[in-house]
Amino acid sequence: MMPSTQDWINDPLGVVEGMFAASQNNPNSGWEAKAVEFFKDHLKEKDAHAWVPSLNDVPLHYLKPNSLVKFRCLIQDMFDPEFYMGVYEAVDPATKAKVLRCGKYKDVTECGVDFNSRNTVTAERQTFYCVPIPGESPWVKESYAGSSQARVVPSTSYAPTRQKRSYEEDEDDMDTQPQKQREPHAGPQVPSEHHGNGDCKRRETEAPSSQAAPASHLDLNFPLPGEKGPSCLLKVYEDRDGFKLNDTVEVFGILSVSPALSALADEKDASSSLLDPADGMETAEEQRVHSPPASLVPRLHMLYAKPLAHNNPLLPAAAAAALEDNSAFLSSTLSEMAAVRAELLTYFTHILLGDALAAEYLILHLISNVYTRRDVLPLGKFTLNLSGCPTVSSYTERFYQIIQQLVPSSYYLGMTLQNMNQMRLVPKKDYVANRLVSGALQLARNTSLFLDESQLEQGQLDTTGVRNVTALGNLISWQKVDYDFNYHQMEFPCNINVLIASEGRSLLPSDCRIHLQSQVAPPDMDEYLGSIRMHPQASQLNKFRMYLSVARLLDYSISDEVTKSVEDDFVDMRKDDPQSISAEDLHRMLVVARLLSLSLGQTSLSRDCWLRAKHVEMLRRSRMEQHKCVNGNEP
Amino acid sequence: MARKDYAAEKDKCKRFLQEFYSEDDNGKKVFKYGAQLVSLAHREQVPIFVELDDVAEEDPELVESVCENAKRYTGLFADAIHELLPEYKERDIVAKDSLDVYIEHRLMMEQRGRDPADTRDTRNQYPPELMRRFELYFKAPTTAKPKVVRDVRADSIGNLVNVRGIVTRATEVKPMMAVATYTCDQCGAETYQPIQSPTFMPLVMCPSQECVTNKSGGRLYLQTRGSKFVKFQELRIQEHSDQVPVGNIPRSMSIYARGENTRLAQPGDHVAITGVFLPLLRTGFKQATQGLLSETYLEAHNITLMNKSDDDELGNDDLTDEELRDITEEGFYEKLAGSIAPEIYGHEDVKKALLLLLVGGVQQAPKGMKIRGTINICLMGDPGVAKSQLLSYIDRLAPRSQYTTGRGSSGVGLTAAVMRDPVTGEMTLEGGALVLADQGVCCIDEFDKMADADRTAIHEVMEQQTISIAKAGIMTSLNARCSILAAANPAYGRYNPRKSIEQNIQLPAALLSRFDLLWLIQDKPDADSDLRLAQHITYVHQHLHQPPTHFTPIDMKLMRRYIAVCKKRQPVVPEALADYITAAYVEMRKEARVSKDTTFTSARTLLSILRLSTALARLRMMESVEKEDINEAMRLMEMSKDSLQADKSSATRAQRPADVIFSLVRELSTEGVAGRGGAGGVVRMAEAEQRCVTRGFTPAQFQEALEEYEELNVWQVNQARSRITFV
Repeated sequence: MMPSTQDWINDPLGVVEGMFAASQNNPNSGWEAKAVEFFKDHLKEKDAHAWVPSLNDVPLHYLKPNSLVKFRCLIQDMFDPEFYMGVYEAVDPATKAKVLRCGKYKDVTECGVDFNSRNTVTAERQTFYCVPIPGESPWVKESYAGSSQARVVPSTSYAPTRQKRSYEEDEDDMDTQPQKQREPHAGPQVPSEHHGNGDCKRRETEAPSSQAAPASHLDLNFPLPGEKGPSCLLKVYEDRDGFKLNDTVEVFGILSVSPALSALADEKDASSSLLDPADGMETAEEQRVHSPPASLVPRLHMLYAKPLAHNNPLLPAAAAAALEDNSAFLSSTLSEMAAVRAELLTYFTHILLGDALAAEYLILHLISNVYTRRDVLPLGKFTLNLSGCPTVSSYTERFYQIIQQLVPSSYYLGMTLQNMNQMRLVPKKDYVANRLVSGALQLARNTSLFLDESQLEQGQLDTTGVRNVTALGNLISWQKVDYDFNYHQMEFPCNINVLIASEGRSLLPSDCRIHLQSQVAPPDMDEYLGSIRMHPQASQLNKFRMYLSVARLLDYSISDEVTKSVEDDFVDMRKDDPQSISAEDLHRMLVVARLLSLSLGQTSLSRDCWLRAKHVEMLRRSRMEQHKCVNGNEP
Repeated sequence: MARKDYAAEKDKCKRFLQEFYSEDDNGKKVFKYGAQLVSLAHREQVPIFVELDDVAEEDPELVESVCENAKRYTGLFADAIHELLPEYKERDIVAKDSLDVYIEHRLMMEQRGRDPADTRDTRNQYPPELMRRFELYFKAPTTAKPKVVRDVRADSIGNLVNVRGIVTRATEVKPMMAVATYTCDQCGAETYQPIQSPTFMPLVMCPSQECVTNKSGGRLYLQTRGSKFVKFQELRIQEHSDQVPVGNIPRSMSIYARGENTRLAQPGDHVAITGVFLPLLRTGFKQATQGLLSETYLEAHNITLMNKSDDDELGNDDLTDEELRDITEEGFYEKLAGSIAPEIYGHEDVKKALLLLLVGGVQQAPKGMKIRGTINICLMGDPGVAKSQLLSYIDRLAPRSQYTTGRGSSGVGLTAAVMRDPVTGEMTLEGGALVLADQGVCCIDEFDKMADADRTAIHEVMEQQTISIAKAGIMTSLNARCSILAAANPAYGRYNPRKSIEQNIQLPAALLSRFDLLWLIQDKPDADSDLRLAQHITYVHQHLHQPPTHFTPIDMKLMRRYIAVCKKRQPVVPEALADYITAAYVEMRKEARVSKDTTFTSARTLLSILRLSTALARLRMMESVEKEDINEAMRLMEMSKDSLQADKSSATRAQRPADVIFSLVRELSTEGVAGRGGAGGVVRMAEAEQRCVTRGFTPAQFQEALEEYEELNVWQVNQARSRITFV
């Protein structure tokens, strides 16, 4: 049986079951690998992946249950592995004969399962809790949604019933005391749960076209406050160890939204757990987190996952895997890079009040990337502290908006005292609910984190505040976040581009600090800033976006020859004035040289580039000296 | 596969329990299990632990079967014991609780006996669970390696597994029904229902013959006092942080503890648990809705609390010969030292010292006097010489460590604070960083930034290794046997070679003398080392990894294990070497006197040398200190002093006697201004000469200097040669 194109998208389970049935006579057929291979091959076909509807931009109730969907997400939490029946025996209601069934990629079964059958095979799978990529810029979302070719029709059998139920819920909510009504027959935790349910159902009917707003009562555990979008429980069968926390992946899998899953949760809540010691352990919170209603958090049975090296929809899809494979694309982009860079530099210079040097550094910062780690030392990070930002007319916020326009994902963190004292930056393990409560620093790789220190005012940091500032400091110096596991801390390496905008020197460490030298006279400042919000044209914007993503993905090498001259340079510089340059400075200069070469589209360091990097660094340092004299501040 | 003959297996169990013995020192046979059976029979003991190590001595095959099918064999052993118990009963016992009375009565009833021919419904026979008052547990063989929670997978279902972890949750202990007893309201017959699963369906209709034949429809009522309950507690453990692969979330596992295994662990405890890994069966509706999933749990057989300091998974299994050979090959000392923070270039001697700090010296406690064995090190240096990186590496490498910065810690934060418990209002002690680092390393960064008052708080720790507290009615002393690794910046930001060491460090001598080694890491320009540094850095950037050294750095885990093994050694200083050490010490004192050494050479120095040399002997896994160790220890001391004086020595070489005399005279002239109100810049010749002679210069040298500086026109000497006037 060869399924047609529509079949494998609309009924992937059929395909899997067909393969399973075919393999029954032949125990060593390895049908599982074949099934995965089948979907992989089909997805490789031209544009095939565009035909698969995406959970990111199609509301859940428009998707057909048990169909193939894709989801672009970040692995936020990993639950314990669960055991399921990989093969089970069931009684066919028609023939009354016992048949072997495949339990893979399924949550619920037909009735008549023989639980004591000798033919049952127990297998293991793992659940990941996935959320949409935090801080994903609006342009990325639009671009992905725009390129999708999936034909999505509201499922006829599904939507009306939901509609009907939600009206009931609406009525309930309109009631003045909806809570009290329920209380007599519900346990203490139930009202909030019910409420969450109702809220969410209502919202789906209200806003079917727009992105679903998360129900405020059910915490979907997004890393960033105010995030929207669906989250899902991803069931992983193959290669479970290949995934790490905070990986960004594009998952192709079978959607499972069976109401039976929610029924399970309800039933457990309703029945008193007094007599059931096994339930004593699973607290209500845990229950809520691990099996939320499927209408809110769908289950996705993974067939195939593609790790995302970048999240830029403008790059050709094949470039995601390996840039070198796509040599035609690469060579055309490389030749253009210098030109785009010049344009971008002009644009940034304009934004940064005419400061070309700062603009230069901003480009370097935006394409930086932790490319390797040596024990504790991350290489390639380039945290920029842009000091001397004007405080008038919310310059820093505008500045962030411009950055947001250019990078695939970013987050603006205003370092107000309140934010510092109250926000949860570091993820923390909640042992009651048995989950990792997310924090704002749980970000995908290459997310731009914009720290606005100009918002900081005088006052006192409390314990949380001090901890948060320490966490930010650790993030910047070591590119790691220590997740709080209550009894111990665990280090999670990350790769986040941190940009600090401040008035004076930042209280946080940074790899490189540059003081903004405004070319605009203070009286004209307001006017200038007012006009700054001009956007470049869409085509130009797209060029910039491509440029930044490509520059980050390029390979880079240093030839032995250049290495030699760099070494000699260093020794010479030390000879003249040992205080002027330390090992750290050399590290930084090499990073600057690397980023400078990449920004010009050169994949190996040339002597010229090295000299240019030296020159740029010298300019920056002399400006710092100058500024120090003016300010009298210790650097 | 042929089914096993479990009756035969049971006989094997019986035989083992009866016949197993070990010989004590006098060659007398000690029946380990026999004795326990006696106390079981008299209700003096509840749990009986069958150690599989013992079983292995008799019948290795049986051990294998037990490990693979632990649940079944628990039953078999229990049956065997149950059948043996009457034989071991030596005297009548007094009933301890109502259930005992019940059991006694039941047995009597049975003996009074109905017809032996009268076959009864199995349900009405006493289930063995009801009559048993003991609990049988297995202890896993010591040869079995403890598993990581992550590795307990579907294939270990039914097996006896041994896991370690940290308890994250523990429920209250609740009674769980093991056997339900019912009585019939019609015929009065008792019915028993053993319960295996977490839920059960209560019996309703009386199954006794009387009721069945009469069709009287007798209803059954649950009888709480006649039922058997066991204590039940559920725990959740999570794997240790060092067992989690990078970028993964620690896994957890549910543990069911029954009977005597309850109330052993609390959240936060490190435990090792042996148990049977089982799937959890659900019944009824749940089974249907749960669909294809099955939950699993570990039924605990043995829960041992582990001390935090030896919980280290790695320290326990001995190194294999191969690994040992790898480490102890030629130049292993350099290799081990080089493996500390391999990304930091150079500083070989500092790394060697840090290695010794990790290993630690031998603690001596002759007749109540305690001489610490831990080694304290202070690193000083210019900003940006990777001090903090060294500290952070040690913090990661040491199995137990605390990292604080001086600015962020107060004396109380380091030692211990008395807190009022918000709930009970009682005073409680809360250990600070030093207490928490007991038996480990406490890394204190920015040591110089600490307030003096706070710093004195750690004086006691550094020598006595305890913290005494007398606050708010609590008087106690806590152990703080930790090595201190401090990092400090020089007082003026950078090391100022023109100032003395005390001025540069600004730490009191009382504190400095407590550090065994003081290192000054200076950022000195030196073309040769600069080039090597540059090569190192560029190499890292060029090739994305460390430059190839003549060795590959030893893996952190292996290091930890090796250090753990080393720590078990207790090398002693042999008699023969005592003289050598004394002689060397006397020599050092003499030298210190002559050279007007600014660092201290005191009795503490001698102890430091002993500590360092015992640490070196430990590192070589030797039982006694050798001469080489002492030499190396002294070399390290020497090097650490050199690092402090490197600049000084170059400065003094340039200073000729004349220059010194000049500065002395200058000093005198300024003193004159301040002291006696004499004219500025005029010094009496006799006074100056006297001053110089007391400083060890000859009058001839003085005259020479006088003339030399007169020629330079720095000062003038009057005709009578009685006065020096500065120009």
